[in-house]
Amino acid sequence: MLRIILNNKKAFWALLCLPALFILQPYASGDLIAMDMLHPTGEWSARFMIAAMALSPLLSLLGPRPTLIWLIQRRRALGVAAFAYAVLHLVFYVIDMGNVDDMLAEFFALGIWTGWVAMLLFVPLALTSNDISMRALKAGWKRLQRMVYPVALLVLVHWIFIHNNLVPALVHFIPFLLLVAARFFLPRRPIFKGA
Amino acid sequence: MRFLSSLLLAAVATIAFASVPASATGVIKCDAGPASGWKSQETLTNKLTKEGWTVRKAKVDGGCYEVYGTTPEGDRVEAYFHPVTLEKLYVGRRGEVLFRKKGY
Ligand code: HEM
Repeated sequence: MLRIILNNKKAFWALLCLPALFILQPYASGDLIAMDMLHPTGEWSARFMIAAMALSPLLSLLGPRPTLIWLIQRRRALGVAAFAYAVLHLVFYVIDMGNVDDMLAEFFALGIWTGWVAMLLFVPLALTSNDISMRALKAGWKRLQRMVYPVALLVLVHWIFIHNNLVPALVHFIPFLLLVAARFFLPRRPIFKGA
Repeated sequence: MRFLSSLLLAAVATIAFASVPASATGVIKCDAGPASGWKSQETLTNKLTKEGWTVRKAKVDGGCYEVYGTTPEGDRVEAYFHPVTLEKLYVGRRGEVLFRKKGY
């Protein structure tokens, strides 16, 4: 029974939707306003993005462990979830700002335009996260998806400068950076074909 | 060996996560004494509204009152006020400093 649930792709999507339910509940009940929703939506978007990026360095550190393989088979879904939470984030930003003039007035703040560019680059990544695009783009698909690294860098800058606060951004990015560093300094494990 | 390193790495990451205090935004700090001596938040928001501000949200941060809203000039900002004197200490927009009182 557990195996059936674990192998069900829809069950994984449901899992990815779970944080959204908790995030949206206090907004739906009127306890929080749109402004308050930027924090949880942005943070969850960044978390899913970092999780998706952490899988390859983890694979080369740990080798093909079953849990890792299970996650890697669902990496595309993680990326799409990151995008979906970013869309929510943007929706709440627009609701909170309420008009285009105010959005334009702050566009050139370092903490804002980096968010917009990250969002823009995110779109082709999300749009091509499906079997049809993978087949159509062939080797180009991987090259395209590598754009997640500049996106991550933009998100890091966005996160630091939106509040001029290093701490929460680094708390999320340092574990990932440690993994990447470890990948360079520790010997690689052989990776099985197809993993 | 590799498993141990990964374990170590996970441990370091966990400690890094756990040791970060739930930090305030902390742009500005007010040493304004006990809250019993403060003016109320409503006093501040009423004063600001009279001056032409639109206040979207107000709370305490770093011992100051922090206000999210629109200035009389029409700028969407985040501003800090002294809880005793209600003096304006800082005005910022998404991390950009628009005004900062000397000494703060
Ligand atoms: C469409 C462009 C974007 C705009 C206009 C935007 C705007 C904002 C704003 C205004 C905040 C401050 C929230 C607050 O009041 O606390 C914020 C925070 C944040 N954003 Fe974005 N954002 C954008 C795109 C993104 C993307 C693509 C990501 C991630 C993948 C992201 C991740 C974050 C994170 C992690 C935070 C910090 C949350 C916090 O406040 O603690 N943003 N964003």
